[in-house]
Amino acid sequence: MKTARCGSAITVSVGGCPGLPACLGMIVFAIGSTQIYPVVANDQVASVPSFRNDVIPILTKASCNSGACHAKAGNGQNGFRLSLLGFEPQEDFEHIVKEGHGRRIFFAAPDQSLLLLKATNTVPHGGGKRMEVDSASYTTLKRWIESGAASNLASDPQLTAMDVQPSHGILQVGSQQQLTVTAKYSNGTQRDVTHFSLYEPNDKAMATASDEGIVSIHDVPGNVAVMVRYQGLVSVFSVSVPLGAPVDKLPAEKNFIDQLVFANLRRIGVPPSDLCDDSTFLRRVTLDIGGRLPTVEETSDFLHSGDPKKREQLVESLLSGPDYADYFANKWAALLKNRRDETSDITANFAFHSWLRDGMLANKPYDQMVREILAATGTIVANPPVAWYKRVKEPQQQIEDIAQLFLGVRMQCAQCHHHPFERWSQTDYYSLTAFFSQVGRKPTSTRGEDVIFHKRGLAQTENKKTRQPVRPAALGSPAPDISADEDPRLRLADWMSDKSNPFFAKALVNRYWKHFFRRGLVEPEDDMRDSNPPTNPELLDALAKHFVTSNFDLKDLVRTITLSTTYQLSSAPNDYNVVDRQNYSHYYPKHLTAEVFLDSIDQFTGARTEFPGLPVGTRAVSLPDNSYNNSTKFLKVFGRPEGASVCECERVQSSSLAQSLFLMNSAEIKAKLATGEGRADRLSKSNSADAENIRELYLAAYSREPKIDELQLAEAYVKKLRLDAQGAPLEEQQSKRLAYEDLIWALMNTKEFLFNH
Amino acid sequence: MRTLCSLLGTNVALLTVATCALGQTVGLPTPRLLTVTPMGGQAGTEFEITVTGENVEDSQELLFSTPHIAAKPKLGADGKAVPNKFVVAIAADAPTSIHDARMMTRLGVSSARAFSVSKLTEVTRTQPNTTLASALPLAIGSVCNATITSRAVDYYAFEAKAGQRVAIDCAAVGIDSKLVPVLIVADSKGRDLVANRVDGFIEFTPPATGSYIIKVHGLTFQGGSEYFYRLALSESPSGQPAPRQAATRRVSSFSWTAADASLPILDEGEPSNDRAGTKKISLPCRIDGAFAKAADVDTFEFQATKGEVWWIEVASERLGLSTDPFLLVQQVVRDGDQEKLVDVAELNDIPSPMKISSNGYSYDGPVYDAGSADVLGKIEIKEDGTYRLQLRDLFGGTRNDPRNIYTLVIRRAAPDFSLVAWAIHMELRNGDRAALSKPIALRGGTTVAFEVVAIRKDGFDGDIELAMEGLPRGINACGLRIPAGKNRGILLISSEQDAASVHATAKIVGSALINKEYRARTCFLASTVWPVRDASQEIPNPRLLADVPVSVSGSEAAPLTILAKENKLWEATEGDTLKIPLKLNWRCEFSGAVRLKTLGDSFEGTKIIDVPLSAPEVEAVIDLAAMKIKPGDHAIAFYGGAVAKYRHKLHELNAAQEHLKLVTERLAAATETSKHLADEAAAATSDKRQELAAAALQAAEALKTAENEKLAANQRVQAATDVAQPKDLVDIVVSEPIRLRVNPRSK
Repeated sequence: MKTARCGSAITVSVGGCPGLPACLGMIVFAIGSTQIYPVVANDQVASVPSFRNDVIPILTKASCNSGACHAKAGNGQNGFRLSLLGFEPQEDFEHIVKEGHGRRIFFAAPDQSLLLLKATNTVPHGGGKRMEVDSASYTTLKRWIESGAASNLASDPQLTAMDVQPSHGILQVGSQQQLTVTAKYSNGTQRDVTHFSLYEPNDKAMATASDEGIVSIHDVPGNVAVMVRYQGLVSVFSVSVPLGAPVDKLPAEKNFIDQLVFANLRRIGVPPSDLCDDSTFLRRVTLDIGGRLPTVEETSDFLHSGDPKKREQLVESLLSGPDYADYFANKWAALLKNRRDETSDITANFAFHSWLRDGMLANKPYDQMVREILAATGTIVANPPVAWYKRVKEPQQQIEDIAQLFLGVRMQCAQCHHHPFERWSQTDYYSLTAFFSQVGRKPTSTRGEDVIFHKRGLAQTENKKTRQPVRPAALGSPAPDISADEDPRLRLADWMSDKSNPFFAKALVNRYWKHFFRRGLVEPEDDMRDSNPPTNPELLDALAKHFVTSNFDLKDLVRTITLSTTYQLSSAPNDYNVVDRQNYSHYYPKHLTAEVFLDSIDQFTGARTEFPGLPVGTRAVSLPDNSYNNSTKFLKVFGRPEGASVCECERVQSSSLAQSLFLMNSAEIKAKLATGEGRADRLSKSNSADAENIRELYLAAYSREPKIDELQLAEAYVKKLRLDAQGAPLEEQQSKRLAYEDLIWALMNTKEFLFNH
Repeated sequence: MRTLCSLLGTNVALLTVATCALGQTVGLPTPRLLTVTPMGGQAGTEFEITVTGENVEDSQELLFSTPHIAAKPKLGADGKAVPNKFVVAIAADAPTSIHDARMMTRLGVSSARAFSVSKLTEVTRTQPNTTLASALPLAIGSVCNATITSRAVDYYAFEAKAGQRVAIDCAAVGIDSKLVPVLIVADSKGRDLVANRVDGFIEFTPPATGSYIIKVHGLTFQGGSEYFYRLALSESPSGQPAPRQAATRRVSSFSWTAADASLPILDEGEPSNDRAGTKKISLPCRIDGAFAKAADVDTFEFQATKGEVWWIEVASERLGLSTDPFLLVQQVVRDGDQEKLVDVAELNDIPSPMKISSNGYSYDGPVYDAGSADVLGKIEIKEDGTYRLQLRDLFGGTRNDPRNIYTLVIRRAAPDFSLVAWAIHMELRNGDRAALSKPIALRGGTTVAFEVVAIRKDGFDGDIELAMEGLPRGINACGLRIPAGKNRGILLISSEQDAASVHATAKIVGSALINKEYRARTCFLASTVWPVRDASQEIPNPRLLADVPVSVSGSEAAPLTILAKENKLWEATEGDTLKIPLKLNWRCEFSGAVRLKTLGDSFEGTKIIDVPLSAPEVEAVIDLAAMKIKPGDHAIAFYGGAVAKYRHKLHELNAAQEHLKLVTERLAAATETSKHLADEAAAATSDKRQELAAAALQAAEALKTAENEKLAANQRVQAATDVAQPKDLVDIVVSEPIRLRVNPRSK
């Protein structure tokens, strides 16, 4: 690849093909390796470099003001401090020009300025060489010093907008795209800042981007976005990468999900897999809704049913049962940090978990559930969501959790500085915090637990940076007029549940979509921002709209998703879609979660895991808090979260050697296999034929009948007479019991068991 | 009233004498009634109940706080009383409410346990019902008495018709249980339909006629005999709130008295949430309303005149609800079409007069909250005009529940007070709060101290004299006045050293001069429901008792009695030093240090008295000048922690030893007789031999019987000796009250 520069017009040639400069500013199409590249009109080169518009961007591009270097929290790096990404130019000017006894700038001999000596590593620099002597950046910095190193912050034009071209497009696998970034200023000028912008794709498996703004597409079809940052502004280059395969045969569409998923598949040329069979659907949906395996009886009934509506009936049955409530309460309890730090937390944790569970059971509308948490008042025993205020005590933490959990917005960065990837400022952060400024607390008879109430008064909080009071305002909304008598949290809840809220419904449907499809339409599921667009925006919009229209009906959402053809596609890829990881052309198998896996093993082996203080037979998905992670190593090894974070990522879903060893060798698993009255024990004593017993094992583990070769292999294994340690043959029942234990162990250790597929 | 000390008030600081030592038991053995099964009964029936408790084994007397319930021991086939079983008869006209049951024992009257009277058919569970298959059928119109098994769920089955409103009510905390109940209604297969984990109540309307299941368990699956409940199933009357079972009263409720009947009663008249819906009222008045809807704000408007003072009281939390009323009064100022609201007053909680325990390991205050989340305060009208009053529930932002009712009273000043008392506690051993649930069961020569706390109303600020009425012979009380402007006093109850066993229901009374008239108010007594051995693990649960029973043991005396050497009015002159010799009657061995502080307003600074163990006398030195004690009459007492080497059931050991002595003598006589007859038989002539041999055989059998009796007597002595082994036991020791008169120094 060669890159040439002519003014601000850039040409890139790939594979020896010459590029054609052109001012397009529109969608580009890359066919094969030949591309048309856009160019933006030249900027106006300032005779005297501007601190704000020239110096800071250079420092940003060189990573001088990154969080790991001189913008590190605290005191920067080795006494030299800069604001993160140059968000505070006035402070940066003070640090560069006036601090360090003025030695960072040497007017008499600009080349000897410490700023340049360090940046070029002429003087040893912990951050290494950030620029070459006499490079364009170096020259600009030097010119700025030579000209007197003025700040001119008040008079210099302000950055008002940025433009990335192209903004979106379709690129073939293996192709590249040069982006051009234009900055626009308050005085009407604009300039090419391509080389001073930062580029970050949201899926590095699909695309990478160079410092010069060249996007390289890999071999995975789908949609990818490259976030482009310049100073405080963010923009995105969205690109579709088609596979280009023929999509001439699509399964029947059942609802809008299928219409939008299939439309996308047609667009990118990825044919979907076939529909999954009944066994797969039964197992998949029972695991996804009820958090458990289907029983042998349920499987048998379902497979033998000829009712054309049996899938719908199954979903309905699962949704109306307590298993659904248990499973989803388990999910929410961890996200809402229902963790036990003190013994005395037990009542609060049980109450809060149960409240979530009962709400699921009663299908409490999601907006109501959130409202009751956000604006909780009273005591935990009388009003369990008050428990959230026991776990999350500070207003800052409260809004950070709420924003991430319920809005899919990560606000943490904005507490100290302008959000680097988002439009949220510190004012936005503290405006949101102000909704929680009137939360009153009174101690209760239980240490560490408060009564929560609304404290009358004008809601406001102090912006820690400006020391100015800030009134409550929701994200992207003007500050409402909230009287001293109103609980501002209720207004926040009103804003959230407003049908036009751009975050609330999307965050939930994306979270639930991920629950069923392993991958959210936006990933991570709680980081929804302009610079991280969904892989199927139309689908996300439609799901959110549907959810709002249903009055935030969670069961309806689950029903809509699981009855879609998309959800019911086979996990087996066809000739084309094996590489697809984000377009839902086939079902993406997912690990059973720790709790579901433990329950599944118990159900399959006939064992029961006992949890201290809970009734015998309590399922792992029904556990109220993290304290039980210590009662069985299983839950820890398989990644059950501790309720320390609102992020689903706290749940470890990746495989590990420890997990494999645990399944193969642990005493806990061995005990389950050999449990008295367990499945192996029962089958060994059964009068049924071995083939029948083996059939039961397959139905219990996989919800399907064994194949002929599987059956024959298993039968032979069971019939084989075993010997004891002395070489004497064991009694038949004992021998069979060992054989069934082995079979169960073997089935349990297959991917077909370990995954929901 | 047997005794009324004329006494000046007291306002001592929190009693915290550290007498901590591991291995010590806290408190002398005291009778406690722990469980009564069933926990209630139907009016107009007679049935058998079983009790359990501590130090109640000798009791054959079960008492109730209402004359409508009577109990007698259940007699076995042999005509003897069956231990721990009684036959209870409830009169047909007995109020359907909660009453207190107690036992009268050798050590006096026991602690109380709630006992319910209902109109429903009573059922007592006898077989385990912890599986769906063993679900206990329960008819609508009945109530089942049961206990929860740890780590288990109780199942009940009932039949109901489609559309029928069935009220399912699980009484637990309100009947003294430790259970925090979870109620779930499920279909006949046990699949959950609806659950309640907050207040043990579900109003269920079956979707179809058929069988349904009720599941009951503890919120955290704890269980055992102390986790009992009464599960009532009844049909909800149409258009009316579903009935709830009666419950004991929380402590805060003592300060709510029924509103003045002469006040006009208004209905809240929803909706009144906004200005348009503002209800116009005239003062004074009483308004009965509800925080029915989420974020409900009830707004009322009235006219008032400059100089008026209106007292406002709201009762809601004190009615037993989980509410937190907040009241805002604003003046409506109109400027043309514009309306401006100017804050006049915000009225919120009734503060507790005392710092409440933080329920940490160390004792740092009483566990009784005499305050309330309700409202009591006044507004002073500075200008003629229109005023608007907003009433909201600070806990009601998100809930919709018409059961959250309130009564709002706006009245002219009606100065008054309410009183509640509880036994004082001190840091005897970290974490132990068992003393908080002690009954007033006195040994001879005992004095116990109670804190009496007042909530003053409508500007009343005068002295409140404390006393007791209805005390039986041998028991005296001395109330230390609650001084003007203060909210706390002390009540001392003493038994005479030679008092005989007796019990009675007494009354604590406070009296005060209000508007030139003496008014007496009955003081409630509060206690914790269960003895708490470790407050860091169990939060003490207090409640009001139904009455004030007092008793003397008669069979035991206090290990230590402290009293003034002379029973007289001690006089001194202002500024002098008063020396009072104290007499100490030690009745058992003590260990550690006994250090006495002083109870009595302004006297807390008295130098601590170090009491040498076994000293017959010590001298209290009171420097009146240093403490600036003013002329007048005062009462004081001395108190501290002491570690006695207590011998439990010494009477039983004495009796066993006496019995052993008797049996031993009987055995000696039988031995002598047997030997004598055997010798005689051996020496007898043949014609007498047979007769004497028979007599000798009879004597030998008598000897064997005597030997067995001695063996049993020895065992009894051994067992009693074991029980009576001296055991370190720490308790609060309070002296008898001492009356002082400080005379003015002549000029």
